[in-house]
Amino acid sequence: MEPQLQQALINRLLAVADDELILGHRNAEWTGHAPILEEDIALANIAQDELGHAVLLYGIVADLGGDDADTLAMFRDADAFRNVQLVELPKGDWAFTMVRQFLYDAYELALHQRLRESAFRPIADASAKILQEEIYHLRHSHAWVERLGLGTSESNRRMQAALDTLWPYVGQLFVESADAEILVKADYFPALASVQAHWEQIVIPHLEASGLVVPDTAPIDAPRTVHTAHLDALLADMQLVARSDPEATW
Amino acid sequence: MDTQWPRYEVFKQDTPNKPHQAVGSVHAPDDNMALQMARDVFVRRPKCHHLWVVPADAILMVTAQELEKGLDSAEPDSAPQPFHVFRKDNQRRSMTYVDHVGTINATSAHAALKAAREEYGDDAFVWWIVPDSAVITSDDVPVESWFAPALEKTYRHQSAYGFVHPQRQGRRRSQSVESEA
Repeated sequence: MEPQLQQALINRLLAVADDELILGHRNAEWTGHAPILEEDIALANIAQDELGHAVLLYGIVADLGGDDADTLAMFRDADAFRNVQLVELPKGDWAFTMVRQFLYDAYELALHQRLRESAFRPIADASAKILQEEIYHLRHSHAWVERLGLGTSESNRRMQAALDTLWPYVGQLFVESADAEILVKADYFPALASVQAHWEQIVIPHLEASGLVVPDTAPIDAPRTVHTAHLDALLADMQLVARSDPEATW
Repeated sequence: MDTQWPRYEVFKQDTPNKPHQAVGSVHAPDDNMALQMARDVFVRRPKCHHLWVVPADAILMVTAQELEKGLDSAEPDSAPQPFHVFRKDNQRRSMTYVDHVGTINATSAHAALKAAREEYGDDAFVWWIVPDSAVITSDDVPVESWFAPALEKTYRHQSAYGFVHPQRQGRRRSQSVESEA
């Protein structure tokens, strides 16, 4: 593989994998704290699925000559992470977590439906696997958006507030990186504009049918290299054990 | 005020040739969420071919002791409808409760129970009679998304991590060093 293409591929895979890892960690923060037992288990399952997806994708990075999954997850500082700010925001209330999950699940579904067709075989294989779980994830968050959006005035108010806060952050998922063009040309990654079009078809009608108003706020303008202070706090927590004894074997 | 959501009993069928078995219950705001929660709670890892959830209120649950004392079976008859018969024949299993043994057409749950005791023998520890009309099935879910991923998620006991044993050895070694000193 051309070095330039290889580097672009590693960068893009890291972006997708970091989104999974950070959101997986955020969702894991609900374990033992979710509003009901059944959802505690459901969200812990989903968190574990997202971590599993990150491991799959980091594995491809490692095969391309990058670091292994443990090093990538536990020994990078915030400025080396390529996740969007959407996934690093604190978990908020249940409405916030469910709205974010819905917006993200729809993105993942749209992304992996295209990535499943990637000309780079390891990605196509990983995506086929990830897609199976994402179909279920989306069904889960889709159901919650509907029930809380149309539930009580209190649940609707919280959902709308969450949507208003989260909406500007979503745009970052669809911003192409500087080296995206060769990935699209090689058919390794889809153009994000096509992913976004599919995402809007999933998200907008369902939000509106769930009694929510889709905001028209402008997206934040930040590259994936820029993070909020929330990511530092998250990493300090997530990486604490691994960094306290880097030589330990598990 | 009772703020608890209604309870649904969950019946899991492991493979096409096995009966549906009661595996536990979930609380849920509605039928679809109940099915979804049943999947999350009971099918994260174990094998599953098919899932039912049934509102607990809709099920006639009777123990052998209650049958001995005599039941109050006053219940209006309706048009004949199918009832699923479940029985518990084993006191040793911890993960399942009653097993599906057959389906009977009857005009009420108690009439179905009476027929079931004649048909399947009167020696069960527990009977559950479930009207078919109350069953919510996983027929319409994408099976490969709901049940297939579980097959790759084997449960690992802590010993699988090879962590506890070396820890113990390390502790023993440091203890013997201390006692030699």
